[in-house]
Amino acid sequence: MDWYRRCVRLWERLPPVPRDLCAAALLLWAAYCISGSLLEHTGAENNSALVFVLAVMVISIITTGYAYGVVASLVGGFCINYFFMYPYAAFSLSHAGYPVAMFSMVAISIIVCALTSRVKLMAVEAVTREQNAKALYQMNQRLYEEKAAIQLKAAQENIRSNILRAVSHDLRTPLTAISGAATVLLESEEMRSEKSASLLTDIKEDADSLITMVENILSVTRIQDGQTPLKKREEMLEEVAGAAVVAIRRRFPGVPVATELSEDILYLPMDPILIKQVIVNLLENSIRHSGDFEHICLRLFRQENWAVVEVRDQGCGLSADLRQAIQNGEQLPQNLSGDSSRGMGIGLSVCQSIIKAHSGFFAAGNAPEGGAVFRFGLPMEEETAHG
Amino acid sequence: MAEKRVILLIEDERTISNFICRALNANDYKAIAAGTGKEGVSLFFSHQPDLVLLDLGLPDMDGLEVLEQLSGLPRETPVLIISARDRETEKVKALDMGAEDYIVKPFGVSELLARIRGTLRRADRVRLNQGSAKSRYQVKDLTVDAARHQVFVGEEEVHFTQNEFKILELLCAHSGKVLTYDFILEHVWGPYGGSSNQILRVNMANIRRKLKENPSEPRYILTELGIGYRMLEDS
Repeated sequence: MDWYRRCVRLWERLPPVPRDLCAAALLLWAAYCISGSLLEHTGAENNSALVFVLAVMVISIITTGYAYGVVASLVGGFCINYFFMYPYAAFSLSHAGYPVAMFSMVAISIIVCALTSRVKLMAVEAVTREQNAKALYQMNQRLYEEKAAIQLKAAQENIRSNILRAVSHDLRTPLTAISGAATVLLESEEMRSEKSASLLTDIKEDADSLITMVENILSVTRIQDGQTPLKKREEMLEEVAGAAVVAIRRRFPGVPVATELSEDILYLPMDPILIKQVIVNLLENSIRHSGDFEHICLRLFRQENWAVVEVRDQGCGLSADLRQAIQNGEQLPQNLSGDSSRGMGIGLSVCQSIIKAHSGFFAAGNAPEGGAVFRFGLPMEEETAHG
Repeated sequence: MAEKRVILLIEDERTISNFICRALNANDYKAIAAGTGKEGVSLFFSHQPDLVLLDLGLPDMDGLEVLEQLSGLPRETPVLIISARDRETEKVKALDMGAEDYIVKPFGVSELLARIRGTLRRADRVRLNQGSAKSRYQVKDLTVDAARHQVFVGEEEVHFTQNEFKILELLCAHSGKVLTYDFILEHVWGPYGGSSNQILRVNMANIRRKLKENPSEPRYILTELGIGYRMLEDS
């Protein structure tokens, strides 16, 4: 079997036209020789026709297409008449029964030829069909595996964000208690010593900053689980911004924040709690990281169909890395430059995710006169769903 | 010395309840703590507090249900709601059900004490001049004269439309208390006004512009995000 397969492969590799021509000629030549020797030894004329039919059949099997078989059968018919039928070495159709024999011989050859090529065609079709089926099956298998992987990943993601939310939720209460207890102690008579007061202040400040972080995490998990859509409703942007500034003033009483409101009425759909958080985060970011406590400015304005909120400071500006990361919408590094920037990454990440969920834009850069500028825009009207 | 005001705290988190009680006691209130809604209701009847601090997230019963059981009594006790930040509808419902004010978790001690003081002061005021509608309100340098339909900031008169004036008057009449959007809509445009929130918001934006009030530096009107508005009190 191995030997046979190797021959077939070798055969298929030869150039088709000379190969088929040679094969047809060789086979006809072989039929001629066999018929000649049979006629010589037995004297019977009827054998040669069968030998030529056999040769034509083999030719039509091994060559491609009808042409070789048909031509070979015509040539065979002529040879039989010319060489192996009386009168020898002459073409004659005058003998009784000769035309019938000739005609049936050629007809048989052509029919055999047609049948074999059809069988060959079917074999080829069967092979391609099988290959297609196999490819389809493999593709199916791959798709199924991919789908399973995606589902698993989504499930893991879901579990992770659920855990994160549950943990954050559970952290909120004890942190409130810690911060509250520290405040009570700070205000009580028996804790008036300076040392304990400063430690208590530290406890309270750290508890408060953890509370902020927990609030941020809760906001993000609220958007990212995808199950609870944004609680959007029409809201006056100046009121949301105002509430954010009031909250910031309460936390950083010494820092002046200038606000510049738009004369336009910016009344647009949003989740006010989340947008307030974005503004609080941006202001807090400027207060904590710019090194500028004097010129922090919040500006609201309308630009075409966007309601834009801008926070600028005149501090140290943004590093190229951070600008790049914000521009590309990449996940921001959680710890940008050591301890002083603790929480900056998460605060800005939260802003980005919230704005993205509102189909808005978020941009950050440095002003030519120095300092950082953060800007985000919200569409003035609810997007109508396409399609 | 006057008798100490009694405050009933219904809160299931022991640590929070602890520090609130300490803070209240340190500020000359008498605090009573209940860990469940049921206990809260029974303590309410046995102690008749001057004010109730109610956490809406209780383990044994819905906070709003507790509120329902406490309200509708002959002697109205103000209820101050403690609720999580992201539960606005719950807060609005509680306010519409008669809760006096709310505070958002996590909150600071000073914020809580300020709310308690304000709520008690308003309750006292209501008790003293019950039923007598004033015709003239004064908040800082803002004067709203209901009889003459005039508003002054300092000496200068500011002109308002009919509805803007009604909103201002309503806020002044309840100064210090947060008024929900629905409450204002119903009182200004009537129960069948069919008015949308937007009309109220735009009116408020105009009022602010006329009063030269920046919502980030409120002198008169405080925005309670997602809930309503509050006229600031003289303190």
